[in-house]
Amino acid sequence: MKVLETNKIIKKFGDFTAVNEISFSIEEGKIFGLLGPNGAGKTTTIRMIMDIIAPDSGSISIMGKPHNGMATDNIGYLPEERGMYRKMKVREVLIFLAALKSMKKKDADKEIDYWLKKINLTDWKNKKIEELSKGMQQKIQFIGTVLHKPKLLILDEPFGGLDPINQNLIKDLMVELKEKGTTIIFSTHVMESAEKLCDEIFLINKGIEIIYGNLSDVKKSYGKENILIEFDGDDSFLKKSDQIKKFNNYGKYAEAQLIKNADTQLILREAMKTCKIRKFEINEPSLHDIFIESVGEANTEGELE
Amino acid sequence: MSKKIFAVIKREYWTRAKTKGFIIGTLIFPLFLVLIFGGIFIVQKVFTPSTRTYYIVDNSNQIYSKFSTQLTDTLKSGELKFKFFEKKVEPQLMESTIKQFQEEVRNKQIYGYLVIPEDIVESKEVKYAAQSVSDFEEQRSLQWALSKVVSDIRLEKMGLDANKIRHEMWLGNIKLISNQITEKGEIEKSGTSSFLLTYILAYVMFLMMMIYGTMVMRSVIEEKSQRITEMIVSAIKPFELMFGKIVGICALGITQLTIFGIMLFFIVKYGEPIMIKLGATDTEFLNIIKHINFTVPIFLFFIFYFVIGFVFFSALYASIGAIVNTEDEGQQFMPPLVIILLLSYFIMFAAVKNPDTTMAFWASLIPFFTPLVMFGRVAVSDPALPSGAILSIFTMILSTILIIWLASKIYRVGILMCGKKVSLKEAVKWIKYK
Repeated sequence: MKVLETNKIIKKFGDFTAVNEISFSIEEGKIFGLLGPNGAGKTTTIRMIMDIIAPDSGSISIMGKPHNGMATDNIGYLPEERGMYRKMKVREVLIFLAALKSMKKKDADKEIDYWLKKINLTDWKNKKIEELSKGMQQKIQFIGTVLHKPKLLILDEPFGGLDPINQNLIKDLMVELKEKGTTIIFSTHVMESAEKLCDEIFLINKGIEIIYGNLSDVKKSYGKENILIEFDGDDSFLKKSDQIKKFNNYGKYAEAQLIKNADTQLILREAMKTCKIRKFEINEPSLHDIFIESVGEANTEGELE
Repeated sequence: MSKKIFAVIKREYWTRAKTKGFIIGTLIFPLFLVLIFGGIFIVQKVFTPSTRTYYIVDNSNQIYSKFSTQLTDTLKSGELKFKFFEKKVEPQLMESTIKQFQEEVRNKQIYGYLVIPEDIVESKEVKYAAQSVSDFEEQRSLQWALSKVVSDIRLEKMGLDANKIRHEMWLGNIKLISNQITEKGEIEKSGTSSFLLTYILAYVMFLMMMIYGTMVMRSVIEEKSQRITEMIVSAIKPFELMFGKIVGICALGITQLTIFGIMLFFIVKYGEPIMIKLGATDTEFLNIIKHINFTVPIFLFFIFYFVIGFVFFSALYASIGAIVNTEDEGQQFMPPLVIILLLSYFIMFAAVKNPDTTMAFWASLIPFFTPLVMFGRVAVSDPALPSGAILSIFTMILSTILIIWLASKIYRVGILMCGKKVSLKEAVKWIKYK
């Protein structure tokens, strides 16, 4: 089942087009990476999904039904810019957030106890938010997002401002929720974490779709492979090979970017003719590379305009 | 409208009702009243004057004997309030004797002295000198006694019976009973107390609208500056959030007013008996509140104009909160609102004195002024309704709906503009956004 489907949504603010004809759909139980640089239109897209702002044109459907206000009860949203009522107690804040998702107080209390235990913050239940550390507050916010057992979870930079231990904790919780069938939209500009978690990615830049698809398909179709070679001897094969598009030579070590559908074995054979190969490694392009390549080009163009 | 609004209302209400500030603020008003009345009581009890001794130099030789028996007031201890001693002074020794009197006043042996001239009946002037001349009540007593003695002498000279005349004059005293002509007939009513009540209530309304309006603004700014808004509006419509805030804080205001009202009721009802039990003899100062007739219609009109006025102004406060990022920035937008409220308070003063002028009529129909001015006119005209009272209810409701609609448009856009400085011009543009 499609948990979420957007169809050619457009949002303009004055003359500025924040989101331009974005269409994607998300299958149940997947982690969907909504990627892009700062100001690409990620937050605007999410705000339209959450019905905070309405698209100028296009449509959004949730669980197969056209969007209406109440559908957001099935969604949990952790915004990038997030905070809490500082003077309120942890439990009070969470009860309030649950009530905003139409959850009964009794059910909310049960879930609060379950989640606080899970992240080891049970002792802080009746403390004021302002007494908590930044990291603790972030974790409480995460609980506030998942408390009402949403079918769709939207996490905008969930790791921002967290130490590695807590990053790991949130990552584990994401995986656990995914295994239980929760669909997750994971919005970030940190490609390393997206690469590890996402089943599908949607790369957006300046409001326009750049790349969209299954992560491994994207990598394959991107067609860019890298090789790392450690060698002793003549390095002229790097220049001679028509399989190599670009390289970075360190003398005894080189990184080379290959042409599309390059024959890596041919390169290895040619290299072996002139040098002693100590290491030969074929790398798939990282999401990071794909991001820099596609967004970087678009953005330098933009700067030249 | 969804059930979620109740969650917002409940949060806005309880997080504030439980704060020390609110509890103290609620108790301070009655405490203030108790302090004022208790203070008057204590001052009266502690600072009771002791017997005051005067020397009387009666050069006319016909006043003292009658004068000294006139003032028989006693102190709480039962002692006489005044003690008089006649001093015979030869004219040539006058100056030195006076000096001696002055010395005795300085040494607190006596309080003061009076010099009655030989021709008192004609000149009608008496010299009074004392340690302090600020006690008007005392001077009035002395003046009254002297006047009585002198007028008695004058009447007797004409062969008239002074006591008889005085009695007749007393019998001829007329009391004016003020009546207000209303549509329902004539009603006996005291002029001063209804003015006083109106001023006090209008002042309370003015303060409450300002304090609670600012509370709405702060609440919006807190959500903005703490980056809470986005999480909330992903679950509830901005309009509902704004509405819930206004209703929750308004409910808090009504709570406080109700507590004030109940306390005032008990002070008015039981204040006097308790004071008397505590030994107060003079409870005149309680008369002010005793004579206030706080009728049910006045109370209902008060609540109505407070609620509608509060909603009207707090919608404005909410949009200010949405435009700015910090409380300091918010303060810059406050003066216009405070000036409007102050202005309506001053207009109320004028309108209360002459509730039926054209100016009062029109001023009370301008939405910014209606709550205070129309309430003032309603309160002094009670139980009749001033012209335009019913009309003002409709104009006020309509303009409040309009203001809420405009404010919600600004609010909706503003709350998501974190960290951006917005000009008023830009904010007005938001109204046109779809």
